[in-house]
Amino acid sequence: MSHINIDVENVSFSYEKEHPVLRDITFHAGGQDAIGIIGANGVGKSTLLKLLVGLVPDFSGSVRVGDVLLEKKTLPLIREKIGYVFQDSDSQLFMTNVYEDVAFAPRNYGLPEEEVAARVEQALSQTHTGHLRNRQIYRLSGGEKKLVSIATILSMTPDILLMDEPSVALDPKNRRNLIHILNECGYLKIIASHDLDFIWDTCSRVLLMAEGRIIRDGKTEEILRDGALLEQYGLELPLSLYRRK
Amino acid sequence: MNKFDRAIHEIQTMDSMAERDQWVNRIHPLVKLFITVFYIATVVSFPRYALTGLLGMCLYPILLFSAAELSFGESLYRLRIVLLLVCAVGVWNPFFDRTVYAQIGSFAVTGGMVSMLTLMAKGIFTVLAAYLLIATTTIEKICYALRLLHIPKLFVTQVLLIYRYITVLLAEAERMSQAYALRAPGQKGIHHKVWGTFLGGLLLRSMDRAQELYESMCVRGYRGEFYYGNRQRVKAADIAYLLLVAAGILLFRFVPVFEVVGSLFV
Repeated sequence: MSHINIDVENVSFSYEKEHPVLRDITFHAGGQDAIGIIGANGVGKSTLLKLLVGLVPDFSGSVRVGDVLLEKKTLPLIREKIGYVFQDSDSQLFMTNVYEDVAFAPRNYGLPEEEVAARVEQALSQTHTGHLRNRQIYRLSGGEKKLVSIATILSMTPDILLMDEPSVALDPKNRRNLIHILNECGYLKIIASHDLDFIWDTCSRVLLMAEGRIIRDGKTEEILRDGALLEQYGLELPLSLYRRK
Repeated sequence: MNKFDRAIHEIQTMDSMAERDQWVNRIHPLVKLFITVFYIATVVSFPRYALTGLLGMCLYPILLFSAAELSFGESLYRLRIVLLLVCAVGVWNPFFDRTVYAQIGSFAVTGGMVSMLTLMAKGIFTVLAAYLLIATTTIEKICYALRLLHIPKLFVTQVLLIYRYITVLLAEAERMSQAYALRAPGQKGIHHKVWGTFLGGLLLRSMDRAQELYESMCVRGYRGEFYYGNRQRVKAADIAYLLLVAAGILLFRFVPVFEVVGSLFV
C-alpha cells in the first residue's frame, strides 16, 4: 500500500440547478490521515463521498487522486485506488456467499485465484469475520453484513478508504471492533458520519459541512469540543464529551 | 410469513441447495448444463403417441433426485404452479383427436388421450430437468458454463443480474407490503385503489436499490464481465458421468426398453 494524496478543488454539484448539493468544496488529504465529515442530514456528506469515487458525474471543479485527475476515462484507475463502503450493506453485498463477495473485486482486477484467496483471507481476518467465510449473505446479521462490507473493500487493498455511516447497525462490541480495525489500518480514511463519538475515536481531522459547504476544517479535538459551533449547525457534542463535562 | 417473504425464502432455499457439497453438485457445470439440454431436447423429440417409450425418460430425474438427496415432495410443491400450467398444455387434445388408439375392455383410449399424456409427461420431465440443474448448480456456475459455451457476456450478465434483482424486488415489495399492512389493520391484502401507487413506488424503489447494487459493483472494478473464480477443470469423472448419462438417454430414446424387457416375460 502506497500513501497517496487526494486533492479536491472548488467542487460544486447540483442535481437541479436551483438546489446545489455541494458548493465550492476544497480540501486536501494525504498520508494516513483519518478525516471525519460531519454535518446535519442532507448537507451533502454522502454525495461528496460518492463524487470522490466517480459515482456522481457532471460536477464542476477538480478531484485529483495522486497524479490522476478524476474523469470518465480515469474511473477504472481511480476506483482501484479508492474503496467505498456504502451506508446500506444490503446495497453492497450481492453475491451468494461471503467468500464470493469479498473475492469479487480482486477477481475483477484479474488477480490469479491463489492471490484472490490470500486477499480474501487477509480481509476476513482484518475484520474478524473469517468464521463467516462460507455463510450466505442473507443469513448474516446487520453487524456482520457491515463488517463483511468492509472486508469486500479491504480485499481491494485500496490506498484510500471512504466510508458512509460505518457505525450504523453495529452493536457496541462490533462498533468497538470496527474502531479498532480502522485505527489499525494505515489507509487514508474519509468517514462520513453522524456518530460523533465514532468520529472522535477514529479521526484526527474533521470537516464540518453545512448547506453543501465546508464550514470548518480542523483538528477533531478542536471542532468536536466546540459545543456552540456544533449546535449552530444542528449537531451536538459527542456523548463521551458530555459525560466528561 | 407473507407471500413475498415466502418467495425470498424459496430463492434462498434454492441457493442453499445449489451450494451443498453433494457429488452431483461437484460435477462440472458445463457437463450438467450439456446433459440437461440434451435430455430436454431428447424428451421433446419423442413422437406424440410414444408414451411408453417416453416414460423411460423418468429414470433420469428419479436417479438424480436420489443422488442429490433432494426431497421429491418438496420439489413438486415448489413447482406446483409451473407443473399445472405445463399439464394444461395438452388438455384439449382428447376433444380434437378422437381416433381410437387402443381398447381396454369397453373403454376406448383415443389418440387425443395418449398425446395429452405424452405432452404432460414431456412438460413434467423438462421442468424437472431444469429444476434439477438449478438445484444442484449455483447461478454463478451456470453462468460460468454459459460463458464457456461462448454465449455473449451481455446475455449471461443479464441472466445473473436478473436473478439477483428478483430478490431485491421481492425484498422491497415485502417492506412496502408490511408498512401497508401495519397501517391498514384488518385489511386482507392491498386494496385495489392503492395498487397503482404501490406498484409505482415499488418500481422506483427497486430501481434505486438496483442502481446502488450496480454502483457497488462498479466501485469494485466491474467493467461488464463477471469473473467466476476457480476455473473448474473437466475431470475424468465428469466425462464418465457425461458419457454414461448421455448413453442412457440415447438408449431410452432409440430402444423400446420396456417392450424389450416385457417381451422377455411373454
